[in-house]
Amino acid sequence: MTPFTLRQADEQDQTLNPGMSPDLATTSPQHKKAELTLVSRTTQIKERALSLLFFLCAIVAVLGVVLIFAFVAVKAVPLFKDIGFLNFIAGTKWSVAQSKFGVVPFIVGSLVVTVGALAIGAPLAILTALFLSEVAGPRARAVIRPAVELLAGIPSVVYGFFGVTVIAPVVGRLFGGAGFGPLTAWIVLSIMIVPTIAMLSEDALDSIPMGIREASFAMGATQWQTIYKVVLPAAKIGIIDATILGMGRAIGETMAVLMIVGNAPQMFAGLTKPIATLTSQIVLGMGYASGDFQTALFGMAALLFIISMGLVLTVRLLSRSKREEGQGA
Amino acid sequence: MPSLPQPKQTRWRTARLAALLTALLAASLLMSACTKGSTDIVVSGSTTVEPIAEVAGEDYSKIHPEVSVLVSGLGSSAGIEAVGDTKTADIGTSSRELKGNELKLGLKVIPIAHDGIAVVVNPSNPVKNLKMDDLRAIFAGRITNWKQVGGADEPITLVNRDESSGTRDAFTQFVMGDTPFELNAVVLPGTGQVREVIRRTKGAVGYISEGFVKGGEVRALSIDGIAPSAANISSEKYPLSRSLYFLARKDLSPAAQGYIDYVLSDAIQEGAVRDAGYLPIKLKSEGQK
Repeated sequence: MTPFTLRQADEQDQTLNPGMSPDLATTSPQHKKAELTLVSRTTQIKERALSLLFFLCAIVAVLGVVLIFAFVAVKAVPLFKDIGFLNFIAGTKWSVAQSKFGVVPFIVGSLVVTVGALAIGAPLAILTALFLSEVAGPRARAVIRPAVELLAGIPSVVYGFFGVTVIAPVVGRLFGGAGFGPLTAWIVLSIMIVPTIAMLSEDALDSIPMGIREASFAMGATQWQTIYKVVLPAAKIGIIDATILGMGRAIGETMAVLMIVGNAPQMFAGLTKPIATLTSQIVLGMGYASGDFQTALFGMAALLFIISMGLVLTVRLLSRSKREEGQGA
Repeated sequence: MPSLPQPKQTRWRTARLAALLTALLAASLLMSACTKGSTDIVVSGSTTVEPIAEVAGEDYSKIHPEVSVLVSGLGSSAGIEAVGDTKTADIGTSSRELKGNELKLGLKVIPIAHDGIAVVVNPSNPVKNLKMDDLRAIFAGRITNWKQVGGADEPITLVNRDESSGTRDAFTQFVMGDTPFELNAVVLPGTGQVREVIRRTKGAVGYISEGFVKGGEVRALSIDGIAPSAANISSEKYPLSRSLYFLARKDLSPAAQGYIDYVLSDAIQEGAVRDAGYLPIKLKSEGQK
């Protein structure tokens, strides 16, 4: 119905406007108001409706964040009364059967997995970005760039499957056991975060003005000296941004981690001993959880929310300081 | 409001697109609000019971085309909650008995099949039998090498199920009692994954429903000298035997009651129940009460 009237009005634009109400059709809308003289009344309505639509779409994201956080927070509130905040945040023992909900093992697990994945993945990604931006010729770039981008498009469950069927058996054969644990998670996660860090770092490197490099070469610096002494320091903040976002990806990753980390609710005890992370433990429990168990899971979700909010905030602060310094794009 | 002059074509295309999207959104909202039939039977709960409920549901719908049975496997606890608490299901399924607060929900408990939990090891493992006490000591982390129970000099890799698994509940009840599980165990969220990891890991030990010990991928151990055979499980001679249950509220609809009766009939008991690797309930209820 709506598109039909709009279409009619549009075809007859500037003439009679038969789609409009009679009083408007007789007095030509062009003369109704001074600011409407440039475009027809229908166009005005359409424009206003569209900007409203855009506004509504944009507000969905804001509402989403607010609603989800409120939901998680409300569900986690009984934690203070039923479990005790200290028992939760500082407790080292997790056992649903014994009603012990200490999340320290999972915080440690998430940290171990994330830091390890970053330690392997970040250098890999930053060197890839340097190669793409500073070293590679157009032909090499045409192959490597899409490959890195494709890496970002692989669903995480596929990474997990790869970890379970390929990496875990190899780790198990080399170090004994079933091959589940931080080491396997590091290998898989480091590959997963490469595209995030590499693509954003490359953007940061590309935004460095060519003149800086030319000046460095003109001073007689070699390519390595230019990269190490000039380009890298200039793109530093952009690369740190990229690494923090990669960290966010690693700490929030759930499916792949669940499949390869072993999910044992114990303290980190060794690289090939199974552990659990905040995300994997939430998924394992959520289908069945009730009562205090459920509250604890929501508490863990709130914790994750706060961690990733902290990461995003850090990135924002860094980019602001970058803008104030007036470097980069 | 700034209105830039645009080509006419683009303007009206954008408007049409916007209107179309809005209409689609409205339509999908309406549809999702209206699709609630009165002859749906919602069955949710244990993943162990899921295959039986599923096959029985399909067959039942063939006989009674006006009824459709929707089966979902969320785990025993979720099933009990769905039928007793949130009332989002007509029938809950469980691979364990009710406990704690669940007993106060006033649910009717209907046993539908027997199941035995097999302790499985890698086929290369020479150990064939475990004493109950040794089995408990292994899962409590006190026995860490197979040579302590008469096997090869091979460290034991524990494979456990997640805390929400009905199979883990049953294993806890039959074997562990109040002894806590060793934490340094791989925790896997499904029977298939447990079987797969034990198949490829030399010193691994875990537990799965006897119905899923198929082929030569993993080998089931005898416990206290009693093999997990069909006869031993249905007579509950095998120490890790349990029953599977349907749970229903007192205000059960006739359609749902019909479905339950169908599951208890020979067609399903001797068909789907046996196909899924479980044992019919008949043997027990005749013998006991």
